[in-house]
Amino acid sequence: MTDFTKENKELYDAMVAYKVPGITAAVEGARKAGMSATQIIDGLSAGMTQVGVLFERGKLFLPHVLSAAAGMKQAMTILDPELKASGETTAKKASVVMGTVEGDVHDIGKSICSTMLQCAGFDVHDMGRDVPKQTFIDEVKKGCTFCGMSALMTTTMTVQRDVISMLKDAGLRDKVVVMVGGAPVTQAYADKIGADVYGDSASETVAKVKDL
Amino acid sequence: MAVSHYMASGMGGIRTAGDLVARMEYSQNMKLKDAKAYVAQKLDLDPLEIGDEQIMRDKREELKLGVVTGLPGAPRGIAAKMNIEKLLGIKINSCDKFRQMMKN
Amino acid sequence: MAANEYYTRMGDGKRVLMTKDQILADIQAGSADAADMGGIQALDDNDVEALLEIVCDRNRTVGVEPGKEVPLTYDIGQLDFTGDNGNSGNGVDMGRLEAALLHERALGADTFELAHSDYSIKPVKPVISMEMQTMEEIQNEIVIPYFYGAMPNMGLYYAPDGPYGNPADLMREFKIEEAMDQAEKSAQALARDIEYVATKIYDAGADGFNFDTTGAAGDADAVGTFNGVEKLRKACPNAYINVGMAGESVMGIHGSIEYDGQVVAGLYPHQQCKLAQKAGANVFGAVVNTSCSKSMAWNLARAVTFVKACTAVSGIPVHVNMGMGVGGIPMFETAPIDAVTRCSKAMVEIAKVDGV
Repeated sequence: MTDFTKENKELYDAMVAYKVPGITAAVEGARKAGMSATQIIDGLSAGMTQVGVLFERGKLFLPHVLSAAAGMKQAMTILDPELKASGETTAKKASVVMGTVEGDVHDIGKSICSTMLQCAGFDVHDMGRDVPKQTFIDEVKKGCTFCGMSALMTTTMTVQRDVISMLKDAGLRDKVVVMVGGAPVTQAYADKIGADVYGDSASETVAKVKDL
Repeated sequence: MAVSHYMASGMGGIRTAGDLVARMEYSQNMKLKDAKAYVAQKLDLDPLEIGDEQIMRDKREELKLGVVTGLPGAPRGIAAKMNIEKLLGIKINSCDKFRQMMKN
Repeated sequence: MAANEYYTRMGDGKRVLMTKDQILADIQAGSADAADMGGIQALDDNDVEALLEIVCDRNRTVGVEPGKEVPLTYDIGQLDFTGDNGNSGNGVDMGRLEAALLHERALGADTFELAHSDYSIKPVKPVISMEMQTMEEIQNEIVIPYFYGAMPNMGLYYAPDGPYGNPADLMREFKIEEAMDQAEKSAQALARDIEYVATKIYDAGADGFNFDTTGAAGDADAVGTFNGVEKLRKACPNAYINVGMAGESVMGIHGSIEYDGQVVAGLYPHQQCKLAQKAGANVFGAVVNTSCSKSMAWNLARAVTFVKACTAVSGIPVHVNMGMGVGGIPMFETAPIDAVTRCSKAMVEIAKVDGV
């Protein structure tokens, strides 16, 4: 089997450097070296995970994360024909509805999480901030099997519990994985309200769900 | 929260000389040690003493700097602050505005 | 409770039992985290030992030694009485004069501030005359320094609340340059409004201005505030100006906006204080956010490490923010007394702050 250590490093480094031209150049280099589309996507995903970690450590900032995500998107455009031709699927892992709960307008962490979930292969429906409770229910009814809610205030975190209750009332609770996060949210609180996944950070959340 | 902080580490404002120390920090960018030393020197006290309620109560009444309990005749507001200006050698904005409003 | 166990708290306020070794491990880990993120020194053995002693004290409350007391300054003014749960307020409606005098006379406040119930620069602008008349009234009665306080809160300048495009929405569409442009324009508008509001309230006799949660909307918010403080300082050379931040690291929403030739994104308290001083602040309010899922020992050690590095280099006094969820204090509306007094003592004695 061909060793693609060099190409994988270039893909990883290009993602961490977050510049779109650099990322597409690394993708072209990897293709020329003979890497498959799936192998290239895995290499880029490892870099994207590191981008998320660096953001959480304050070494990279939001525009950098989004630039890396734009590079990932561009890479997918380049690789899509090959994926289709080889019969490899580009099917998304699952559909996720994401949002900052009603009454809360903080959304940076949630947006980073949405971006990282997208890069991890999820079909993300990011509803933004101050999202009405019913919107989460409606998106689950439309087919989202993951529901992510962020709250940054002790006064709004209770909405996460309300949505879980509404999912139960609608008979949908066992059809969806509920993720919760945000500054005042803890594992203990997530357990108390019956959420499935608590993430202390965007990268932790993605790590917990990507193989579910 | 305020009560907890005051019990743990607060000077106590006009119960002692906390407001005076704060004025020196803000008006002259003095760090804590320098601000306390300055205020202590102006009050002819030790820096330890300016945080002592028992010592400062009499001092504030004597120098008419405003006292924390309801004492009829003791200066409040602008009157107390004008005395604080003289003590510390600073100007206080509300006193300046008061003076500007005085006719003649 | 075993002999080697101590009551302490988690970052969400929950009381837990931990052994001394567990507390020590958390102190070391929290300090190391701050050192790694900020590129600063972790607490030395003496400081770690002192912090361990504070956290493990068996008494309900702890305090500083006589002579080590510091002045206390306030955010949110009278909203701690009149505000709702969201402000950790008690929900007791009263006049702002009564609230101010109660803080001065019953709560030992060293300074205080007048606050509007919508505690931000932009909403205050149209009602500034009302704020001025209240300031005049209270200054006639109050003895302690009395500021006007507000959050810069640059988020209010973005759609749907304001005239500029919202970077959060623009970035979702990968319109990164447009997002940066709108952030820069908002920062300019914020600086103008700060000058307007703050100079007016100073004319009414305010001792000065307190800027709370500077940088809450990111690096452009911080730059707009620093520029506004510069304008205020120029217009009112003797005003007392307090610049309090929103977090230990300035959020890089723009990513490359500068103040005084320096990129502001990612700056930590020991760097933020220099910019605040350059802008013209007299006192810097360092902020370190609490992580709810970590112990108080971890959070406090981390916060003390950041703040100690700041006080060591700051050219102006540092008043560490120690409200709900900051400065090591648990994120809980009724912050436990044991936690608050421990954090207060640690910040004074180990981080060497000039005020709280």
